Order: sequence, then structure tokens, then C-alpha cells
Amino acid sequence: MKPPPQRILLVEDDESDAFFMKRAMTKALFPPPIHVATNGQDAMDYLEGAAHYADRASYPLPQCVFLDLKLPFINGFQVLQWMRDQPTLKDLPVFVLTSSPEESDRERAKQLGALAYLIKPPTPEMLKKSLSLLPLCAGFQPGPA
Amino acid sequence: MIDECYSSPIGWAMRFLVRCGGKIINVDPHETRIAGHTTTGCTAPPFFALKTTENNSNSPHFPAKGIFLILSTYHVKLLGYRGNVFYNRSMKQSDSPGAGQNASRFLAAVVESSDDAIITKDLNGIITSWNKAAENIFGYTAQEIIGKPVVLLIPADRENEEPNILRRLRSGEKIDHYETVRRRKDGTLLDISLTVSPVRDEQGVVIGASKVARDITSRKRYEAELTRAREELARTNAELEERVVERTASLERAIRQMEEFSYSVSHDLRSPIRAMKGFATAALEDHGEQLPREVRDYLERIIRSGARMERLIHDVLIYSRLARAEIAMQPVALDHLIPEIVHHYPEMQPPRAEISIRQPLLPVLGHESSLTQALSNLLSNGVKFVPPGVIPKLKVWTEARNGDVRLWIEDNGIGIKPDYQNRLFLMFERIHQNPQYEGTGIGLAIVRKTIEKMGGEVGVKSDGQNGSSFWIQLPASPVPP
Repeated sequence: MKPPPQRILLVEDDESDAFFMKRAMTKALFPPPIHVATNGQDAMDYLEGAAHYADRASYPLPQCVFLDLKLPFINGFQVLQWMRDQPTLKDLPVFVLTSSPEESDRERAKQLGALAYLIKPPTPEMLKKSLSLLPLCAGFQPGPA
Repeated sequence: MIDECYSSPIGWAMRFLVRCGGKIINVDPHETRIAGHTTTGCTAPPFFALKTTENNSNSPHFPAKGIFLILSTYHVKLLGYRGNVFYNRSMKQSDSPGAGQNASRFLAAVVESSDDAIITKDLNGIITSWNKAAENIFGYTAQEIIGKPVVLLIPADRENEEPNILRRLRSGEKIDHYETVRRRKDGTLLDISLTVSPVRDEQGVVIGASKVARDITSRKRYEAELTRAREELARTNAELEERVVERTASLERAIRQMEEFSYSVSHDLRSPIRAMKGFATAALEDHGEQLPREVRDYLERIIRSGARMERLIHDVLIYSRLARAEIAMQPVALDHLIPEIVHHYPEMQPPRAEISIRQPLLPVLGHESSLTQALSNLLSNGVKFVPPGVIPKLKVWTEARNGDVRLWIEDNGIGIKPDYQNRLFLMFERIHQNPQYEGTGIGLAIVRKTIEKMGGEVGVKSDGQNGSSFWIQLPASPVPP
């Protein structure tokens, strides 16, 4: 059976953090509809449907993005700024998920229109609450408590 | 020759009466003119001196003191009060026949002892008198130069100055403090300041000129040195400026690097700890039931250590940021702030702890969020360091101290031995070994740094057994917050 389309894009370079996100998501939703982009360029390719992400059936445009800030080469803010400049992506909901408690980072994320600023590690409760902020969250099923 | 002179007050002005060549002339030092009397024989040398005493004499004539330059029969220039007694009352009364000779000798002495070159010349520019100072300054003796043209003293490139001076003199003009260059006998040049005045005959016709020349070579040298010194100073200043700019830039670079470092610390150092804690937590949560109790204990220790590392990083960052933070002082109502802090921490509230505040708490001048941080640390410590089984009880009050406010936080905790009290506020100093009182050892260093940043002080009082009393002292707020 074909796996269900992945509807959440996680931009995260740290394998452990990606693992914790998936684990928390598993507890919040079932099954976890996550695709992980491991750097900024990868995330932009996915969102644009470029390169090997051209098949939108396998790689559909996500309903939301969880975005780490500290990424190699192109950082999270640059990805976010780029998204805001793309007509098709500018309204896509973005959650910043970072280890930075810096007020300046929080402020910048807000200015760039992030829906929420989440500090790692993610918990199922945090994710449920965040996803409930999405305007079109009907597609998500709450996982077993 | 001047025979005699007297002075007498006429109205408010002092007048000098001079008997000269058998005639009386009236010298008004304000007008510097001699009223219409002939003064035949008064021309060489054209100086006379007058002595005056305090003008309380009953006599209309009393001695005067002063040095005058007679420029013409109508024109006397007051050079200044200086010189010796010329005439005194007794001399005048005796009308001594030798007085005139005395006068000449004295005048000659005055001219000769002057530091300024005093020269006279006729309208053809021929030198007619030459004093000792002129000899010193220019190198020519009177004998050599009298009768020679004054252009001898003028350097080739300034020869046109002399006709110009003569023209101005003929029209009766005076040349005051004219700075120029003249030539010595040996050909060397010197800077001088010239005052040239026309000398007139009794009809008021200009017949020659008196020249007072002051050697200003050393003054010029000083001026040049001063200019050089000023330039040097300006250059040094500019260099200093430049260095300040450089240092500031390097300081700013250092601060930026420090900030980048802090940022890295908060991200990169935390990430492996998060992983450590996260995997241990996942292992416990997902497989805890299958694990032996010992393994679960190990995992819990990993989680606790990770949490401690996170707190350490957090505190070090706060401490390092404190040093750079700019804080603005404003009135802070401790009456509101402390209950707010207590409200924020469940461990400070019943049933876990009792904190009694003795109202009113005096307002202080401080930076509210920094103060919140410091007071939270102190109150947290207060409820933390109690013997097992004891409910922490804190008392908080303020007292006024010479324009400051001291806030006390007294606890019923384990106390701090006096030996340790001076180390208490240092970074990484922990004075309790018991893991029950685990902390990062930075909390009180943060408190001290925060309070000192606000211009305050911090301290502790404890006998090491019956609890501790921590205090912070800040300026009292002059206005209610």
C-alpha cells in the first residue's frame, strides 16, 4: 500500500532533533505525515517542486512547515524570507522550531510572519496546540493520547 | 634742555608743568600736548622724566615721576611711569642750578638703560640718535651709525618699506607696533616690533621721527615653537583619536564575537545535551517497563545531568550578557514586584513555603527586569536551602539607609558559615556538597553583578546555623513609582 502523502515539511539538519520531532508527532498524530528537508536549499527545492521533488503526488505541497533556524549554508530566516517572496508560498503557515531562546530571533520570526515560535524539544502537546492554529487543519487526525 | 618740572592737579586731571629753556610748558598727560610754549633745546635727547608723589600736597606744585618723550613742542608722549626720582620738592624749592644737568644725565640714563632700541632719524632717513639697546640689538655703535641712512638696517627684500614709512610720517601718521624684519651689522636678520612717531617743530611741521624698536626674535621663536607645539599636539590628538577609533572598532568586534559566541553556545552546546536528554527520556518512556530498575536509575541520572548542564549554560549566558547590557534606572515598587515574583513560582507559595512581606516595602531606583532576575534568584535560594522536612519560611522587609534602601530576605535555612560568606557571590562557587542543594554556582554571581550594575550592593548575614539574611541595597526612589 502506498504511504499516505506527506503533508508536513520539517526543515531540520540535526538527525536527533528530527527523530524527536517525529516521535512527538507520532504521539500527537497518526501516522506522522512528515517529510524532512535537511538544509535550507533542500527545503526550497521541495517547496518549489524542483529537482527530484517534481512529483507532487509523492511530494505534495505541505500544509505547514516546521523550520529550524540554525541550518547549514542557507539558514531558517533566509528560507522564511524566500518563502515570503514566492507568490505561491507566501501564505504557507510556518512554525519556527529552534533551540534559540533569543528575543531577537523570536521578534524576527514574528516579523517574517511565522505562525508560532517553538523552542525545542518538541512535545506532543506543543505540536497539537500548534497544529490547532492552522486555518485548514481538518486533514489532521489527533493521534492516540 | 628741560630745567624743571612739576605736576599739579587741575580739576580731575593731572598736569605736568615743565620749565624748559626758561619757559614754562604745561603737559597734559591725557592730551599729551604741550600748551603753546617754546621749548628750544628740548630735542636731544627728546626725553624727560617727571616724578609725582601722592597728590595730597597742599602745594599747587609737587614732584612728579614719569618718562615722557617730547615729539615736538606741542606733542609729548607719556611712555610710562618708571625711572628714579628726578626732582623733589627740595630741589624745586632751592631751584638748584644743577637741576638741568641732573635732568640730562637722568634722561640719558633712562634712554641708555632701555631694553628697546630708541633711534631718531630725520625725514631723509638719516639716523640722528642711537641708544645702547640699539647697539646691542643691531650691532652698530652710535658712533658708527649716526649720520648714516636707516636703510642700512633694512634687508634688501624690504627696502620699499622705508619710503612708505617716511611718507606716512610726513603726513603726521604714527606707526604702531609694526612687526617686521631688520638686518644686524653682521647681516643676520632679526624680528622686531617698531613704533615710529613723527617729531614736529614748534610750528607743528614734521621734522623727523623717533623709532622704538623691540627685538622680538625670541618672541617670534616662542611663537614658532608654540605653533610647532600646537601642531604637534594636534597631530598627537589626531593619532589618539585614530587609536580610540581603532580600539573602539576592535572592542566592537570583540563584543560582536562575544555575541556570536553566546549565540553558538545557546544553539550548538545545547543541541547534544538535548539529544542526550531526549534519547534517555525516550528510552524510559517507550521501554521503561522492560528495563531493570538500575538501568532506569542510570537513565534518570543522564536526564538530570543534562538538565543541570542546560541550567549551567543558561546561567553562564545570562551572566555574560549582564556585563554588556545597558540598563536604565527607574523607580521600582518592591511592594508590587516581590508579590509578583512569589506568584510566579509555586515553590515559594503555601503549602511548600511561606513568604511574609512586611509592608510597606520602600521603593528603589533600579532596572525592573534585572531586579526581578536578582530577587527571583535570592527568593529561590531562600526556599531551597532548608534542612530536610522543614518548610521554608522567609521574611522580607526594607529599611532606609542614608538615601538608600536595604531589602532584607531572611530565611530559616541551613545558613552559611562566616568563612564561606566572602566566596558566596563569586562565579562557580558552591559551598554545599549535598546534591540535595544542587545549583549551578552562578546564581549569586548573577545577583551580585546585576545589583552592582545598578550601582547597588549585596551581602549576607549568617551565623552558619540559624538561617541566613541576604540583603541588597539600592538608591531610594526620589519619587513614588
